[in-house]
Amino acid sequence: MGGSFTVLSHTADTGIEVAADTLDEVFEWAAIGMFSTMYDLASLAPTAEVEVAAANTGFAELLVDVLSDLIHLSEVTDVVPCAFHIIEVTSTRARLRVGTAPLQPETLHGPPIKAVTYHQLSVEPLPDGTWTAQVVFDV
Amino acid sequence: MRVPGRVFASEALLIKAKEDRATQQVANVAHLPGIVEASIAMPDIHWGYGFPIGGVAATDVSAGGVVSPGGVGFDICCGVRLLASRYTAEDFQSRRRDIMAELDARIPRGLGKGAIASGSLVTDVLTQGAAAVLASGYGWEADLERCEERGTSPGADLNAISQKALDRGGGQLGSLGAGNHFLEVQLVERIEDGVAAQAFGLAEGMVVVMIHCGSRGLGHQTCTDQLRLMGTAMARHGISVPDRQLACVPVDSAEGAEYLGAMAAAANFAWANRHVLAHEAREAFAAAFGTSPERTGMRLVFDVAHNLAKLEQHDVAGRMRELCVHRKGATRAFGPGHPDLPDDLRQVGQPVLIPGSMGTASWVLAGTGGNPAFDSAAHGAGRLMSRKKAKQIESGQQVRRELEAEGISVRPGSVKLLSEEAPYAYKDVDEVVDVCHRANLATKVARLVPLGVVKG
Repeated sequence: MGGSFTVLSHTADTGIEVAADTLDEVFEWAAIGMFSTMYDLASLAPTAEVEVAAANTGFAELLVDVLSDLIHLSEVTDVVPCAFHIIEVTSTRARLRVGTAPLQPETLHGPPIKAVTYHQLSVEPLPDGTWTAQVVFDV
Repeated sequence: MRVPGRVFASEALLIKAKEDRATQQVANVAHLPGIVEASIAMPDIHWGYGFPIGGVAATDVSAGGVVSPGGVGFDICCGVRLLASRYTAEDFQSRRRDIMAELDARIPRGLGKGAIASGSLVTDVLTQGAAAVLASGYGWEADLERCEERGTSPGADLNAISQKALDRGGGQLGSLGAGNHFLEVQLVERIEDGVAAQAFGLAEGMVVVMIHCGSRGLGHQTCTDQLRLMGTAMARHGISVPDRQLACVPVDSAEGAEYLGAMAAAANFAWANRHVLAHEAREAFAAAFGTSPERTGMRLVFDVAHNLAKLEQHDVAGRMRELCVHRKGATRAFGPGHPDLPDDLRQVGQPVLIPGSMGTASWVLAGTGGNPAFDSAAHGAGRLMSRKKAKQIESGQQVRRELEAEGISVRPGSVKLLSEEAPYAYKDVDEVVDVCHRANLATKVARLVPLGVVKG
């Protein structure tokens, strides 16, 4: 069980491609991937925890909602979401527990993400039962 | 495709546009319901999301034409503001350290909170734009005359702005943000059109200040909210598009009205944001020279957006029509005689501000009569390479050292991120401007070169 992500090349913005064993993990690794483009997550330890929930139709729309809510959380409360535990992902809702660390601007190593786009967005199962996702971010 | 694609470019710029997916995005935009004449791209075109950056699309409102949040982008009303001054290069050099230190200390930028103006002003700002911060003591009355829309977009709908958007914007009124945003001290290196330059208030050898930023988190969240709603709204209107990021609804629909109301409110935040930053730049120069802001001569040359959708009248096949003109990384460029221009600019056309990349030239152009792109021109140099590739070439420290060696003071929000915005990551702004001039998108007025940059 597990997952990984790679950073996609984009002329102006940035994006990630995620591979994971399960649907839950594709959401988890998408969140890890998004914040890893901005911060060295390995150097951060969570000091607080919050729950994030989204309701929508379809895994791709739900993934945009979850990632957008994490950007909002980070920007408004000055934290870096750095640990993610998926409680549930269904075709209509997603819930996760998010560990956060206080924002330290010097730990930034990539451009802050403004928003999550729908451009080239996908969340799909593969024939072998694993999952893949792709997300492009506006920076 | 409902209309053809039309890219304004030199052969070299066109080759670069084809190397990424920008030209495919021009083709995708041509599918928008109600689009007229062509899906257009400016010479600084590059790959975006949904629309290409540098994309222009006009839809006919009375023919079911749509409005697309993706045709505006997340940074609603991102734009450029240029301030003149009474100072020369010698004046700047004599106070370089003080000016850059004052700007460094006063201009909030980069990651984290920090804003010049109070979040308590945001509600008024959303409906009144720059006028709201003017009433609170920021800037000068004359600034409004030299701002697109006089700094207030009409039709703002507060109900279309979410609490999440207010949360994000509350602590950011009067801040640059990050990425490619900046405040740059520049020198007017040469004048190409003396009549227009005089009308704009520019002269060779004058120090000027250029500010590039937008609606910050409030705009980003507003676009996010509206794109989410349009996913289901498109189905209700029977619209399908080749890219979900091109989500759109008829201008003449409840959802279209809501988007335009939300966009206007976020645009008002952006006008006010640049107005407050200009106020602070004047304060910084005044402190550095030991004088008052009024005596710095830092009049507003112009403020113009490059991420907006606007309802405008244009001639299409010999008939005037009301069009929703999307400019995604494209600058409005009204020509001489346009009724929306202030009296003192109506003879020469609207100032068109085209910033270059960090360390290279920027340009002031003038709008022309007979513009072939719904009164639009380029908005910058246009990215040439990805951020990932740019970081592999040089470190942020190297880029800073090289710029400083060229005599350009650099005060970055993050040194590490400087290389992503290095000059080599962008196209040649002179070539982009040359295409604008030759294609009659806008004509050259003045070339500006950097003296110091405060980077987001």
